Amino acid sequence: MLANYGFFLMFLCCIASVYGTLSAIVAAYWRHKSLYMSSKLALTATAVMSTIACALLFYALQERDYSLLYVMKNSSNDLPFMYTVTAFWSSLEGSHTLWTWLLALVACVAMWTHSKENEHVMPWVSASLQAVLAWMFYLAVTHSDPFVQQLPAPANGRGMNELLQNPYMAIHPPMLFLGYVGLAIPFAYAMAALGYGDITQGWNKTVRRWTLFSWILLTAAITLGGRWAYVELGWAGYWAWDPVENSSFMPWLMATALLHSLLVQDKLGHLKRLSIILAILGFFMCFFGTFITRSGIISSVHSFAESSIGENYLIYLTSVMFVCISLFVWRAPSILPSETDKVWGISKESALIITQFLVLSFAAIVFIGTMFPIVSEWTTGQRISVQAPYFNAFAPWIGLGFTVMIAFGNLMRYQSSKIPYGKRIIFGSVLFAIPLTAFLVYMGDVMQTKTTKNLVAQFIGFYLTSWAVGCLLGDLWVKVKDLRYNWTLFFKRNLAYFGAFVAHIGMMIAIMGFLGNYRGLEKKVTMKAGETTTLFGYEFHLKQGIQIKKDENATLYWAPVVVHKDGQLVGTVEPAQSRYPTKPDQSFNEIGIEGDFWNDVYLVLVDFDRRTGNQITFKININPTVRMVWLAIIVMCIGGFIALFDLYRGNKSRDVVAGNWEEKV
Amino acid sequence: MIKLAFIAMITMFSWSAQAEENPFAVDNSDSFKDVAGELRCPTCTGLSVLDSDAKFSVQIKDEVKEQMDKGRSKEEILEFFVERYGPWILREPPKEGFNIIAWIIPFAMLFIGPVLIWFFVWRKKVTVQTFGVRSDGEIVEEMKRKLEAMSKG
Repeated sequence: MLANYGFFLMFLCCIASVYGTLSAIVAAYWRHKSLYMSSKLALTATAVMSTIACALLFYALQERDYSLLYVMKNSSNDLPFMYTVTAFWSSLEGSHTLWTWLLALVACVAMWTHSKENEHVMPWVSASLQAVLAWMFYLAVTHSDPFVQQLPAPANGRGMNELLQNPYMAIHPPMLFLGYVGLAIPFAYAMAALGYGDITQGWNKTVRRWTLFSWILLTAAITLGGRWAYVELGWAGYWAWDPVENSSFMPWLMATALLHSLLVQDKLGHLKRLSIILAILGFFMCFFGTFITRSGIISSVHSFAESSIGENYLIYLTSVMFVCISLFVWRAPSILPSETDKVWGISKESALIITQFLVLSFAAIVFIGTMFPIVSEWTTGQRISVQAPYFNAFAPWIGLGFTVMIAFGNLMRYQSSKIPYGKRIIFGSVLFAIPLTAFLVYMGDVMQTKTTKNLVAQFIGFYLTSWAVGCLLGDLWVKVKDLRYNWTLFFKRNLAYFGAFVAHIGMMIAIMGFLGNYRGLEKKVTMKAGETTTLFGYEFHLKQGIQIKKDENATLYWAPVVVHKDGQLVGTVEPAQSRYPTKPDQSFNEIGIEGDFWNDVYLVLVDFDRRTGNQITFKININPTVRMVWLAIIVMCIGGFIALFDLYRGNKSRDVVAGNWEEKV
Repeated sequence: MIKLAFIAMITMFSWSAQAEENPFAVDNSDSFKDVAGELRCPTCTGLSVLDSDAKFSVQIKDEVKEQMDKGRSKEEILEFFVERYGPWILREPPKEGFNIIAWIIPFAMLFIGPVLIWFFVWRKKVTVQTFGVRSDGEIVEEMKRKLEAMSKG
C-alpha cells in the first residue's frame, strides 16, 4: 500500500517537473509573469511531494517493511537504529532518490531566495532545474524505483552492506549529493545567462554563493569518503584514484576553477564565458561520474550493455551536452567582457589564468586516467588498467604548480605588475620557511623515510609549502596594514579574502600531509601471544591471543596490541576481524588506529590461527602526517564557510540589468 | 658457479622450511614490495596486490615470491605476469602502441598549455572591442574620417 503511494508521488513529481520546465520556457520567451509563477509553484509542489515520498521510504525502513524490495535488500532485523536511517542511501535506488529529493529541495530554495536583480532570468533557471529534475524523476520511476514491491514479505531482510556500517559512510553520501546538487544551481544560472544572452547583475553573487556552498560540501564529503576508506578498508591509505573517487573529485576541481574564474569576473568583468563553461562542466561531471560508476562501463566495455540504466544516462548526458554546446555557440558571442582598461600582462588576473590552467589540467588528467581503459579497450580490444601509479606520476607536479601559484598569485595585484612589499615578503618567506621546515622535519620524524629520493621529495615539499605559507601570511599583513591594522574593518569588509586565506593555508597543510605518503613505513608480521616486534622505533607487544567480543550486531575477533615508542606508551591499538550474522562466512577488518598528531599507528589483523588463536598476522603501518590531511580539510572547509558570509563580493557588478516582465494589456 | 647455486639452494631450502613452520610467512623486503606494488589486485578496484589480501592477490604474491627466490629480476617477473594475464595486470598503461597516448596527452598539455596561454591571453593585453567604444582615440579618429568624408561629399 505504502509502496503504491510512494511510487505515485514520484510519478506526480515527474509530471509536475515536465510541466514546470515547459511553462518556464514559455514564460521566459513571452516574459509572462504568472506563467513563471506557475512553474515556480510546480517546483514547490515537486519538492513537497518528493519529501513525502522520501518520508514514506524512511518510514518503511523504520518499520522494517520487507514487502519493499529495497528495504528487504538493505535492512535486517538486527540492524542498529542509526543504520536503518542510513540504509536509505546505502544502495543505488535509494541514493538516486536521495539525490533527486535534495535537488528538488535545493532548487526550491534557490528559486524562492533569488535576488531581485535576477528576477527576469529566473524562468530560465527554473526551466533548467526542472528539466534536470524531470529526468531524474523519470529515472526514479522507471529504472531506479525504490518502491518496488515483493509480496509476500519475507521475515527478515538481507542486511546492509557491512562495509557501509560506519559513521563516515553514513553521512558521506548525503553530503556528496548535496554538493552535487549545489552545482546544479550555477549550471542553471549559466543556462539562464545563455538563454537571456548576457550575464545579469547579481548573477555573480548568486553563483558564487552556491558554488562555494557546494565546494565546501564536496570538500568535506570527499574527505569523509577517504576517511571511510582509511578506517574501514585496511590498506592504510585514503585515496586510491579509483573511478568512484575520481568521479567525485572532478566536480570538485570544476567548482574550484569556477570560484577562481568568478573572482576575475567580479573584479574585472572578464572570463564570463569561461565561468559559464565551468558551471556547465561542473554539473556535467557530477552526472558523468555517476554514469561511469553506475553503468558498469568502468569494469569493462562489455558490461555496459547489461543494464539499461547506463544507456539512459548516456542518452541524457549526450543531450545535455548537445543542448549546452548549441546554446553556447548560439548565445555566448553576445556575452562580452566588461570594458576594463588594462588587463592581463603580468598581474593577478594572469596568475589566476595559470591557476585555472593547472586545475583544469589536473581535471583533464583525472578524466583521461578514468576513461582511458574504456577508450583503449574499445579501440585496441585489449584491456588495460590505469591505477594510482599513473595519477601519482603527475599529481606531485600539479601540486608543485599549485604551491608556487598560491604563493605568487596571492601576492600579486589586479591590473598591475608590481607586488607591494614583494621582495620583502618573498625573500622574508625564504628565511621564514627554514625554521618551519626544520620544525616539521623534526616533529614528523622525516629522516626515517626509506629511500633517499623520497626523503628529498619531502624536504623540497615541506620547504616550498612553508614558503608559500610565509607568502600568504605576508599578504595578509599587507592587507591589514593597508587598513592601518583596523581588524574590525578588515573582518567587516574582507571576509571573502580572509576565507580564501584560510582555505589556501588549509591547502598548504594538505599538501604537507600528502607528502607523508612518500615514507612507506610498513611491514607484515606474524606474532605469537607474548611476543614483541619493532618498526622504526615503535614497539608492538601482543599480550594474548584472539579474544571474542560482541558489538551491536557484529561479533569481533579482537587482538589488542600495546604500542610503545622510545619506551613511552603510545596506546593500545585494537585491530579486529568482525563477522555479521547476515554473512556468517565472511569476515571484515576492523582496523586499529592509535597515535599522536604526527604519526598514526595503523594495525590490520590479517589472519589468525583458527585452532588456538595464539598466532596472529598483523599488517603494521606507521602513517605519518595523515592527521594533517584531516586537519587541512577542516581548515579548508572553515575557510570556505567564512567566505560564504562575505557581503560585498559581487556587489559592484558591471553586468547588465535584466529586462522587465511584459505588461499585460 | 656451483658454489652460487649451492648457496641459492640452501637459501631456498631454509626459506621453505621456515614457511612450513610458519603458515603466515610474509615478505617485507623492499624489492618484493616494489614488484608487488606494480601489479593490480584482479578482484578489487584501485589496489595493488601488495595492499590487498584477496585470495587472488595472495596467489599472485606467492608467485612473485617464488620467482624472486629463483633470482628473476623485476622486469622478468612483470613480463611473466603480462604474458599470463595481459597488460591489464599492470597498474599503469604500457608506454607503447596505442596506450602511449595516455602518457603523451598530459605531458603535451602541461608543456604546450602555458605556451598557448602566453600567446592567446597574456600577450593580448586588451584588444577587446566592445560596441566600438573601446578607446577615446579611436572614436576621435573615426569621427574625423567621417567629417572629412562629409565635407568632401
